[in-house]
Amino acid sequence: MNLLHRRILLGFAAFVLIGALLLLFAHQSQARVVEPNWELARQSAGLPPASVSPDLPGLPPPPRQDPCLHCHIAGEEKGLWTPLVRWLVFGAAGLVLVFGVVQSVSMWKTRAPWKPLMARAGAWIEERYEIAAPLEKLLNKPVPDWQRRWWYCLGGITSFLFVVQCITGIMLAFYYQPTPEAAYASIQFIESEVRFGAAIRMIHHWSANGMIVMCTAHMLRVFIIGAYKKPRELNWVTGVSLLILTLAFGLTGYLLPWDQRAYWASTVATEIAGSMPAIGDLALVYLRVGWNLGAQTLSRFYALHVLIIPLATVTFMGLHFMMVRRQGIMKPL
Amino acid sequence: MTENTSPDEKTIPFYPDHVTNEAKVALGIGVLLIIIGVIGLSVPVGLQPPADPMDTPAHVKPEWYFLALYQIIKFLPKSTGAVLPVIFAILVMIWPFLDNKPDKTKKAARVRFIVTAVLMVILIALTVWGEVS
Repeated sequence: MNLLHRRILLGFAAFVLIGALLLLFAHQSQARVVEPNWELARQSAGLPPASVSPDLPGLPPPPRQDPCLHCHIAGEEKGLWTPLVRWLVFGAAGLVLVFGVVQSVSMWKTRAPWKPLMARAGAWIEERYEIAAPLEKLLNKPVPDWQRRWWYCLGGITSFLFVVQCITGIMLAFYYQPTPEAAYASIQFIESEVRFGAAIRMIHHWSANGMIVMCTAHMLRVFIIGAYKKPRELNWVTGVSLLILTLAFGLTGYLLPWDQRAYWASTVATEIAGSMPAIGDLALVYLRVGWNLGAQTLSRFYALHVLIIPLATVTFMGLHFMMVRRQGIMKPL
Repeated sequence: MTENTSPDEKTIPFYPDHVTNEAKVALGIGVLLIIIGVIGLSVPVGLQPPADPMDTPAHVKPEWYFLALYQIIKFLPKSTGAVLPVIFAILVMIWPFLDNKPDKTKKAARVRFIVTAVLMVILIALTVWGEVS
């Protein structure tokens, strides 16, 4: 195969070299060509001389003579080089083509057996990253049969709803504008103009409520069964953090439509935070960016809602899942 | 790896059996959400009038999941009402380190169930009360 490649390359290089030399030579010979004698050409073609025919006003100028004609009709170019160069260049190209076709056919006879593209892609990745063994271990982990009960689904449903929230939230973020002037109108735009916008907003709204319900239900299940006990303490801690983050999602997301309900619900909710002793004022000012809800509050809640809290949630979810995976689900007594 | 998965226990493989079960649940929830979305096309979530800081509505309420908290705060001194949920959250957070003895009998789970049920009833009652008041 390497030998074949080398031969093809050598042939190609020879072809290019010969072609370049011949073109150079032809160019030099062409450079000596003087301006053709058009009058002579017209005479030999049986046409009247151009100078006799008057340039009539209003007529377009006579077409420019094809310079290529001179070597075929006028007969000034009687040289051998032009046809010779053409024959050599195109002949060499044809020979190289025939050579390549013949060699390819001989290679086709000794070809490797065909493998499906997916298998090839898998082998390509496996050769570089060697993930087949760990992946197999990951996928073949036995799951106890007793955990096929509905109350073991609650955490999974919560994470599924989180994925739904991410997708619909990104869809809404394409149209939402987080300023007091534009927020309300952009929600109206989503509900009335955007195709399926009302459906996406409805799903985002109810999936958010469902996430809080499912998160709480999952927590109660874990509490009642006693799955928070050793060795799963940190699992519980990350889980409670996730519930708090879910509530924070709700708090920050509720303000975004910037209607009366959103505004006053957020006012009341931040007031609850503000009534804490010692750090109450600090919490209030941090949440509202000032003493009252305004444009800065909306901006801050939006940033928290779409950047900070999702990142924190994904981090805690990753930890939560890895720990569950490592320790398995606790078998109740 | 899992100390409570004995080798003689009946198991199903994670892939594809368990993943299929999970996918069925996800599919069911997804269909439910699509139905909700289709309903939303004709009955959208909607908006109230635009926010007006000068015009306080008659019944100001937080989101439903903060209603119970809001209701507690109405009847307690302001600072106590705000500190109580924080203490409760911290307590819940560190609960595994307080209740760290492994269960010996099923009785403990039953006690926790009753405690949870009572707490949930109180929570739901407070939420409903906050909603109607």
